Amino acid sequence: MTRIDGYAPIRDYAVIGDGRTCALVARDGSIDWLPLPDFDSATVLASIVDAEHGGCFELQPDEPFESTHRYAGDSNVLETTFRAAGGAVRVIDALVLAQDQELAPMRELVRSVAGISGSVRMRWRFEPRFGYARGQTTLQEQLGRVVAKQGSEAVVLGSWNAGAMSLVGNAVVGTFELAAGERAVLDVSATHGEPAVIPRREDAERRLALTQRFWGEWSARADYEGPWRDAVVRSALALKLLCYAPSGAIVAAPTASLPEWIGGTRNWDYRFSWLRDASWTLRALLRLGYFDEAQAYFWWFMHASRLTQPRLQVLYRVDGSTRSAESELDHLEGYRGSRPVRVGNGAADQVQLDVYGGMLEAVFQYAQARGRIDGGTGKQVAKIADYVSEHWSDRDSGIWEVRGGPTHFVQSKALCWVALDRACKLAERGIVPDHSDRWRRAADAVRTFVDENGWDAKRGTYVRATNQPELDASLLTLALLGYDDPQGDRVAGLIAAVQRELADGALVYRYRGEDGVGGDEGAFVTCSFWLVEALARAGRIDEAGALMDELVGCGNDVGLYAEEIDPSTGEFLGNFPQGLTHLALVSAAVAIEDARRGAQS
Amino acid sequence: MTIWGALTGGLVGTVVLTSALRVGQELGWTRMDLPLLLGTVFTSDRNRANVIGYAAHFVNGFLFALAYYGIFRAVGHAGWIFGAVLGLVHGVFASGALVTILLPAIHPHMGAPWTDSSETPLLEPPGFLMRNYGERTAVASLLAHVAYGAIVGGFAAQLT
Repeated sequence: MTRIDGYAPIRDYAVIGDGRTCALVARDGSIDWLPLPDFDSATVLASIVDAEHGGCFELQPDEPFESTHRYAGDSNVLETTFRAAGGAVRVIDALVLAQDQELAPMRELVRSVAGISGSVRMRWRFEPRFGYARGQTTLQEQLGRVVAKQGSEAVVLGSWNAGAMSLVGNAVVGTFELAAGERAVLDVSATHGEPAVIPRREDAERRLALTQRFWGEWSARADYEGPWRDAVVRSALALKLLCYAPSGAIVAAPTASLPEWIGGTRNWDYRFSWLRDASWTLRALLRLGYFDEAQAYFWWFMHASRLTQPRLQVLYRVDGSTRSAESELDHLEGYRGSRPVRVGNGAADQVQLDVYGGMLEAVFQYAQARGRIDGGTGKQVAKIADYVSEHWSDRDSGIWEVRGGPTHFVQSKALCWVALDRACKLAERGIVPDHSDRWRRAADAVRTFVDENGWDAKRGTYVRATNQPELDASLLTLALLGYDDPQGDRVAGLIAAVQRELADGALVYRYRGEDGVGGDEGAFVTCSFWLVEALARAGRIDEAGALMDELVGCGNDVGLYAEEIDPSTGEFLGNFPQGLTHLALVSAAVAIEDARRGAQS
Repeated sequence: MTIWGALTGGLVGTVVLTSALRVGQELGWTRMDLPLLLGTVFTSDRNRANVIGYAAHFVNGFLFALAYYGIFRAVGHAGWIFGAVLGLVHGVFASGALVTILLPAIHPHMGAPWTDSSETPLLEPPGFLMRNYGERTAVASLLAHVAYGAIVGGFAAQLT
């Protein structure tokens, strides 16, 4: 692995987490991203967006080495193996889970080092920089540990058999020799606004073992048998990492401002929960048999959106609150100079009509799985459908939340139809109050509008917006969500157009036109999986399977995906790992298996 | 000053408090739903939770009215202003500790800051001053509790 100007390729990262926050671990053993205590908190380690000042936790041989990493079985515990001239060592990294009723740190990162062969001299360097590396981080030795503090935040570094700790500038450093069969442990326990809990070595190691066992048991419950089981289970594990356990919310990605193009300005904070992902999330969780997570997410989004209902906000914070002011961190240089580094997300204030389709489809799936929903929720759902019947003709910013001004996006209109259609179906089953006459009239009006303004008969495809004749890969969702017959001529035309105009090999760009931001971006991996699913639903199963094989091969060495990939280099771009990509992967794999079973029967 | 006056005040005050918070929900000021929060301690079925929650909420309304009455007796004075002051203290306690700290600690279906991936709770924690349920939740809750206290104090002083 080669770093460029101190930056590791995004493809060379793996993620670890505990259901509250995530850390990115590079293949060379450096942890370069860690917000504390939660996903959307300020970072303590952020060298991925400023290699010199962001803060990192390096751990690697003190001599030339080669390294590989993988997850320990089907878990979110990471194993990095270093091979040097003197021997080999393995580092096991995890944000560990605690048992009920034990006094454990609020958050705890455990790095366990085991000698495999020979003897290797290791070095480590822990440089915490609180508050996105703003302000002064104070380091001091205390009871044989090093405590780093800023305001109400603190982390405590403990080490066992990992050499003497030395304070050098803003960092704590150490070196140690590890022979085959020997073990060392480094432990970072974090607190926020309360006294820190300082763990013992046996506590840290016990929690590490417990964590590995939990992930293994959780992933074994995944109900999918098919040729892409490894990719599906890894996606499920990645999605579970993105679940904010205290509320049930799911963040789009655990990082902020990883660029969609190196040196570009498309750098956004994804540490929020987007309601549009609701339908894909419920579908994946229910299909894989994770009903508890699906129920928690359903309760969360129905509860979180209460403040704004019947209008829905595009995104919500993981604690359910609506504040998400966007700001730029000018003191950070950005990943390989990709400025600005943004935190918060201004898209929260946009109007995006597709959100309603995503949410009502999710409600429909949940009601199908459970058989009913309570009366209060049913009334809320009916009010939302009423709102859609009144506002479907508004201009909006579309699924990609473009910043070039609102317009009539065809995918948004079609998703309004999905919302109204699902509301009618829920009313038919007596699950929500019956306003279906009004909803059906509005749905028919939406379809007429799309037919008259959103279909290009010459090219045989839908267009992006009524004033934008180019194509948009999000239109594939019309085939996936039941707006169009997936085996009909229109979807066939749409698939052909996407393959012709937006595909580059197996990868698909989301669009080619302007979006008010400027600059380039990579191919959008979610859209690539949507194409697979559209092919499967169209009955082109072999074609879908071949494309799926190619896309599964595009993941990194631990099976994770960023938001985008540069088709010419294979380089990962954008926030990582991207939840929507993994949701689309699961949905595509399931659709192919369902289509195969349907064809056989 | 009578205990029946305080209990009547507790009933009327709870109706007013509940209605005020419900109006706050409808106006988009807060997502705090006390009957749901209380009812889901006993069941994860929303319909049952609402019924149980309302019952528990009114029982709490009577119990707090009795506590207010005890204080009125101890200081030898009752009145709507004194009741409002007690309501203010009650509101601060409810927003700052009762719902924020104690409820997540005992609630089997509510997340807490220390809930990790091994658990899947159904309700998000309220956060400091219940701000997770809306920025104005603490203000709405405080005003509703002041109204409750004033009503309990007024009824306790007037009914003989």
